[in-house]
Amino acid sequence: MFLTTSKRPKTTLLDVVILAALAGGFGYILFKAATGLNYHWKWDLIPQFLVRIDPKTGFPVPGLLVQGLFTTIRLSVWAGILSMGLGIVMGLFRVSPSLFKRQVGMVYVGLIRNTPPLVLIFVFYFFIGDQIMSLLGVDHFVYALSDGAKEVLSWFFGPMNRFPRFLSALITLALFEAAYIAEIVRAGIESVEPGQWEASASLGMTRIQSLRLVILPQALQRMLPALAGQFISIIKDSAIVSVISIEELTFQAQQLMTTTYRSFEIWTLVLVMYFVLTFLCSLAVRKLELAVNR
Amino acid sequence: MKTFRLQAIALLFILLASALGCSQQPSQQKAGKDNPAATGTASGSGSQLDAILERGVIRVGFDTFKPWAMKDKNGEYIGFEIEVARRLAEDMGVEVEFVPTKWSGIIPALLTGKFDIIIGGMSITPQRNLKVNFSQPYEYSGMSIVASRKLAGDRSSIEQFNNSDTTIAVRLGTTAAEAAKNFLPKANLLFFDEESQTIQELLNERVQAVVASNPLPLNLSEEYADQFYLPLSEDFSREPIAFAVRKGDLDFLNWLDNWVRVTMSKGWLQNRYEYWFFSHEWESQIQ
Repeated sequence: MFLTTSKRPKTTLLDVVILAALAGGFGYILFKAATGLNYHWKWDLIPQFLVRIDPKTGFPVPGLLVQGLFTTIRLSVWAGILSMGLGIVMGLFRVSPSLFKRQVGMVYVGLIRNTPPLVLIFVFYFFIGDQIMSLLGVDHFVYALSDGAKEVLSWFFGPMNRFPRFLSALITLALFEAAYIAEIVRAGIESVEPGQWEASASLGMTRIQSLRLVILPQALQRMLPALAGQFISIIKDSAIVSVISIEELTFQAQQLMTTTYRSFEIWTLVLVMYFVLTFLCSLAVRKLELAVNR
Repeated sequence: MKTFRLQAIALLFILLASALGCSQQPSQQKAGKDNPAATGTASGSGSQLDAILERGVIRVGFDTFKPWAMKDKNGEYIGFEIEVARRLAEDMGVEVEFVPTKWSGIIPALLTGKFDIIIGGMSITPQRNLKVNFSQPYEYSGMSIVASRKLAGDRSSIEQFNNSDTTIAVRLGTTAAEAAKNFLPKANLLFFDEESQTIQELLNERVQAVVASNPLPLNLSEEYADQFYLPLSEDFSREPIAFAVRKGDLDFLNWLDNWVRVTMSKGWLQNRYEYWFFSHEWESQIQ
């Protein structure tokens, strides 16, 4: 973001001209949007979708869009954890000495990376999701829960009645992202010098031991920034599951627009919400990179 | 190396194909009798009714359509269909669970058992009826046009919109889209996923008109009176709206049919219809 150099760069006339041109262009677009679109802007309606006052208790509670944001965060965190696990396994498969494992890893990564996520989500949700859900008995599990358990679990997974869908979306998202993580893991392991392998082998370590004690600690350090970046992608990609009606931020926004016809205000707000969320994550990633490189 | 790769890929395709094959089976079975996996019960007579009663919850699929179903400021669902669903669940003696689903995928979602019934202002069409069973109609909705004053200011009949210089925006998968295809075969149609997008196109003067079920055109022409107008004084079609359920379950269908008869005879449906479609008392609940 901000380079802390000893010298401050000088501002030249060219910089001023470019900035003025940019500001002017941006201002013109905004002006056209505000006046030329034939759209009745009503920004005063919007705050209640972020925070509203509960009429019963008088306390502020999260509005519709903030609830959607919570679902987005839940989805991203769980998908992040799941895809991390699967991605690391698949990444190790890709560099495994066993041909079979290498092939499995290659086919998985090849399949997922060459299909559009939207299509993948539809196929998974309508064809494969059901099979897995009934195998796991998720529906039974949810309906058999006591109210107390539902309350607790809903903190982690959102409304439990929709848990089977949530799980479908979660698995699809995790499957999709894990392919990218597998590639990051593979690149990280391959970036460790061959001398390290040889050195650990000469100490009499097995392959597993050398991976665990020598290679992975070094590789993980190199992978961290890329993995963190991939997590930000997960947040952005989570918007895709709105097509199977998971009530995350994008879906809630669409529902609101259908009800209130306030498309522009709501899309603008949603854009800002996503940006704030991912930007905070970017800052955290930057901190992480600095800490790792120290 | 190459043969191995081919083998692995072939194996994977076989796996995928078998997974798809297996998943086809339940939906076929479901057509014949209820599928325990989807309904969460293995009931005696095999009707969806028993499954719902045993579960104590009826799962209702719908999509947001103003004023059929909307979210109010508190995040609760309100609207005509929502009231109908609540009343139906009450008469059945079960809880109701609302499953909001995108309209374009709502029938596949019903067929794959994501919910038990569609209560969402779904019009009966022969094509839909091939895939799902419809109950008796419990309301009728009319199709109408709302047009841009600037682009179509002098048109007052459906024929005047039926030419190649006219562009119409409609919502994908709705009977409005069907009606536009049938009544306006020469016009260019633009399909959108959400109602709000069609309205935006009209506001931006990229289309001459939007075809949708009333009262949307009526409400729009009131809200944007200086930009929009209603070219037709009457709705150009009247469509029966009914509950949609999976095929092969006569018991459930029979119950629904009679529920419609009884509730109609009490006048409750008509009363609620008037409230949601012709009054604006509820507007304050959503904005």
